[in-house]
Amino acid sequence: MEKLTKKELWKVFLHQLTIRGANNYERQQNAGFTEAMMPVIEKYYEDPEAKKEAYARHMEYFLTNDITSAIPVGVAAAMEERYATEGDIDPDSINAVKTALMGPLAGLGDSLLNGTARPILAGLAISFITSGLGWFGPIFFIFGMALVSLGVRYLGVFQGYKQGVKFVEAIQTSGLISKISDLAAIAAYTIVGGFIPALVVITIPLEYVSGDTVLSIQETLDGLMPGVLGLLYTGLMYWLISKKKISAIKLILVTMVVGIAGTYLGIFG
Amino acid sequence: MNLFMQAFLVALFVTIAFIDSHTTQIHIFRPVVVGPVVGLIMGDVQTGFAVGITVELMFLAVIFVGTAVPPNPTISTAIATGIAILAGGGTDIAVATALPVSFIGQVAETVQNSVINVFFMHRVERAAEKLDTKGIVANNLIFPMAVNALLYGVPTFLAIYFGAAYVQGIIDAIPDKIITGLSVGGNMIGAVGFALLLNSIKTKKFWPFCMLGFFMASYLGINMVGIALLAVICVAMYYYFKIADAKA
Repeated sequence: MEKLTKKELWKVFLHQLTIRGANNYERQQNAGFTEAMMPVIEKYYEDPEAKKEAYARHMEYFLTNDITSAIPVGVAAAMEERYATEGDIDPDSINAVKTALMGPLAGLGDSLLNGTARPILAGLAISFITSGLGWFGPIFFIFGMALVSLGVRYLGVFQGYKQGVKFVEAIQTSGLISKISDLAAIAAYTIVGGFIPALVVITIPLEYVSGDTVLSIQETLDGLMPGVLGLLYTGLMYWLISKKKISAIKLILVTMVVGIAGTYLGIFG
Repeated sequence: MNLFMQAFLVALFVTIAFIDSHTTQIHIFRPVVVGPVVGLIMGDVQTGFAVGITVELMFLAVIFVGTAVPPNPTISTAIATGIAILAGGGTDIAVATALPVSFIGQVAETVQNSVINVFFMHRVERAAEKLDTKGIVANNLIFPMAVNALLYGVPTFLAIYFGAAYVQGIIDAIPDKIITGLSVGGNMIGAVGFALLLNSIKTKKFWPFCMLGFFMASYLGINMVGIALLAVICVAMYYYFKIADAKA
């Protein structure tokens, strides 16, 4: 039988979008993965028993990042095709390969999408809004995220299918994931540092008066290092989260209390 | 537009946003989009932008990692923006409302993952056994997405439609200084988001890039678009000097 056509791969892409549809704590994205494999299973299996077996295979536990899950979907499509047409691979290896990809792709997806792309695009959207561009901010954000979400899924399904099992070897031997994580870490660090002065704003209205001279604390600090209070406060929050293991929810509440107390005491404002 | 219509449209948008977050993920469910859209519906876009920005910074990083459901920013932004506009457009109030409301979304989503979707997943399994492809799509996509209207749309509608009556009284009772203090705290809240983001980075040895970004913005006054370009340059330099050179 012939290979999957472009049109059929697009169908896989569309059904992959539902990977999180019935996301559940028992077996996570299993129902979504099964739906994504539907066009492949329907094409290659004639015998109802073989078809049932193929569906049952994908109902097993599966969990990775929603967007990067397109890669194992593409790889599994290639493997199902191979098993149904040539029969020279062990069907159990299909789930073994899926499972092998789960961990690395979850880490990769979270650091690239939630840790890098989304905060960068959101930060830029915020800066567009605050500089008076209004709706351009959210529209830019949606276009950027659509490109990331749909683009990664497209590449995942089409490249995952094309490269098949080779993809898994490439990931496991070349250290591809750790290299991409390094690049994502550099981007995230640069962005966080560079966004702090604009987005973490702390002002001290206190003045020191001695005779005729009035010394504004804020102006002095700005002269030394603009935005230093935001940097220090972020550093403190980071220390409390990473070393003292205090939850972010508590820190958000503490920050609001600090804001209110600081206003009452006249330290902040 | 009357309040009923406004509450209905906000609830409809929240439902669509949740469907996006469970399928296409073009991210219309993020505060920076939800705030302005709710602002448009409620007739005060400026407050929408302001609330959207503050809540986005609060939720800049994922608060929990792994399979645990984090407090939900979508329903939080929608209700906080709606309430802020009904109360006369104070973003300070929105900041105070946003956090508690985000737990409504967290509870709803936990119920969805642990009970409702387990039920639908077993129906998908039965449909697959009967080779019923329509049944697979109905139980993995159609029904779970319809449930989003009940879990997230309905509470949003109720909060905005019935909440309005109580908000003004509560706000009048809060001293001005607390309101100012909330907005001071709101300006600092990004620190928690950034700290979470820093904590999520595994290769700590790259920390000097954080200082580089900070000093470029602080001393040279480079704006955020410039910082994003700087990040691209840093990534490219590391790639060419370190990764590509190692291959050659």
